[in-house]
Amino acid sequence: MDQINIKKEVSDEDLKSASIYYRNIKIAVCAFLAVLLIIPLFIKDYPYIMNVFVLVFYMTTLSMAWNLLGGMTGQNSLGHAAYMGLGAYACCLLMTKAEVNPWICCIFGMIVVGLVSGIIFYPCFILKGPYFTLVSIAFGEAIRQFILNWDFAGNAIGISLSFGDDSWAEFRFMSKVPYYYVGLFMLIAVYVFMKKIDRSKLGFALKTIREDEDTAAAIGINPIKYKVIAVVISAMIAGMVGFFYASYNRYIDPDLMLQTYSVESVLPAVVGGASFVEGPLVGGGIMITISEFLRNQFGAILPGINLIMYALVLILVIRFRPSGLLGWYMNSDIKNKIDKGILKKPSMEVLEAAQAANDHNSSGRRV
Amino acid sequence: MSTVLQAIANGLMIGGFYAMMGMGQNVIFGVMKIINFCHGEMLMVGMYLTFVLYTFFGMDPYAAVPFVAFIMFILGACIQSSLITPSLGTKSFTNLLFLTVGLGTLLSNIALVTFGSSFRTITTSYTGNVVQLGPVTMGLPKLISFVVTIIITILLFAFLKYTTLGKQIRAVSQNSVGAEVVGINVKGIYILAYGIGAALAGTAGALLTLFYVISPTAGSIFSFRALIVVVVGGLGSIPGAFFAGIFLGLLETLVSLLVSPMYKDLIVFVTFIVILVIRQNIIARRR
Repeated sequence: MDQINIKKEVSDEDLKSASIYYRNIKIAVCAFLAVLLIIPLFIKDYPYIMNVFVLVFYMTTLSMAWNLLGGMTGQNSLGHAAYMGLGAYACCLLMTKAEVNPWICCIFGMIVVGLVSGIIFYPCFILKGPYFTLVSIAFGEAIRQFILNWDFAGNAIGISLSFGDDSWAEFRFMSKVPYYYVGLFMLIAVYVFMKKIDRSKLGFALKTIREDEDTAAAIGINPIKYKVIAVVISAMIAGMVGFFYASYNRYIDPDLMLQTYSVESVLPAVVGGASFVEGPLVGGGIMITISEFLRNQFGAILPGINLIMYALVLILVIRFRPSGLLGWYMNSDIKNKIDKGILKKPSMEVLEAAQAANDHNSSGRRV
Repeated sequence: MSTVLQAIANGLMIGGFYAMMGMGQNVIFGVMKIINFCHGEMLMVGMYLTFVLYTFFGMDPYAAVPFVAFIMFILGACIQSSLITPSLGTKSFTNLLFLTVGLGTLLSNIALVTFGSSFRTITTSYTGNVVQLGPVTMGLPKLISFVVTIIITILLFAFLKYTTLGKQIRAVSQNSVGAEVVGINVKGIYILAYGIGAALAGTAGALLTLFYVISPTAGSIFSFRALIVVVVGGLGSIPGAFFAGIFLGLLETLVSLLVSPMYKDLIVFVTFIVILVIRQNIIARRR
């Protein structure tokens, strides 16, 4: 009886410190979001900088789509540029040939990509490990070759979308500001979705498959079923990014699906830390910004310099920080200092006690 | 009929190169169970090495082959010992995959920065010579290159089959822990295997220079073909890789002749997926 009382007293204080910690995190996140929201007000006259932001948003979203399959499920796909391109083509064909509203086309494109990837990869998931990577490359190249030879889709010339007055219904703007906000919204929505998956039963099933497929099968997780779910969700998000890309650039061609772009979509996740949902955010923010800067500064004199930097960073991160920048940060002193000094993070036991007390309270109320 | 024979001859020739790339990939994959995604870029480096040796030292491309092979072996051994071996310890397949992808990007862009994006060619006194073999006409360089690929295949096969080092490589391929237990220096074998893979790719590049344009992206076509060869021919099987390479070359040229050159790549990739899935289904049933 005494022991329970002592625990109760401690947890009162714990509850307070824990709630302060959560409040601080909320403030930090809100401040960060607020900064992102007001940035366009200051830089809307610099289209180049706006372009970098939009690029970061959609490439990071694509990288998060990859991370669901690569980081969480352990199936290293190298065909995400092809899913993105397929989505873009499905949208644009419906938009230009049947003149359907772009937002409906977006949903149509996502469904097409989801169906195609599900049907093609279902028989392929009997393959494990490196074989899946090979099939994803072959699949991506096959789609690219198919579109290159398809007269209806404009062969190598590609498809241009019509220009015209600004309108939300047509998702067509002269300024980059609306694209900025839509891109940001897409990024945050996909992030929240990924976070939900990460903590759901699906997420745990996928992580179990990543660690050991045979064990997963032994405890009643059907690996093929869950892998197909992962590939379909991942490809659908990539298809959505394809729609955004097409609407933003108003032009697509089969080069969009080149192997190099698949690699580029993976780098933010690997550099940031593929085992974290936040990995692509960190990696995308750093890598794509630097790459664009280098391309802009030196692209004319030394073409390829940005890709050399890309490759060097990738090799160095894998060699010296195998868990990615975020994995390194998680175990570093900087994080400890920030946690203790700014966010006032209490110790892990305190957090757990507070969590347990919360659960107890809420379940008590329910009863 | 003669066009078909001509296509078959060309297919055999290009298949020889696919086979050579595939065998290198096979040695690496067999020993370390990783896919070397910069294999095509190694071929490209071999091409540029030959180009440099030819332009600055006036060396005949065929005389340059041993030098290129040696330099590529050293390069491969350095990459293996400094980058890949330490990363093997993390057991993360994702990291190893993207390490080689990053190396490929690095190599092709270094070539782009150093030599520019323009296409280079090597022209020697015998470039234009042709040989008439019955109904088939073939360029002399192509014929020499094909003969050299055959010789190298036989040498590699004999090396793996009969020498102690070759037996050690095969032992590590079968079971690396077991190989370590019986006293084989597994890390040394890793370095040797990667070096051999790089040397084979570089040699293929050197042999290609006389009838193929040299450019920073020249390797990308061969990169994925090498993987197809490995998978279709069976992992760890050198004769399998050789015949799969020949098969792939024949498939490509015959499809471009009989169907359409435009659908060549599409058919190759689809065939690959189908063969892979069927093979794995058969293996899964057998268990």
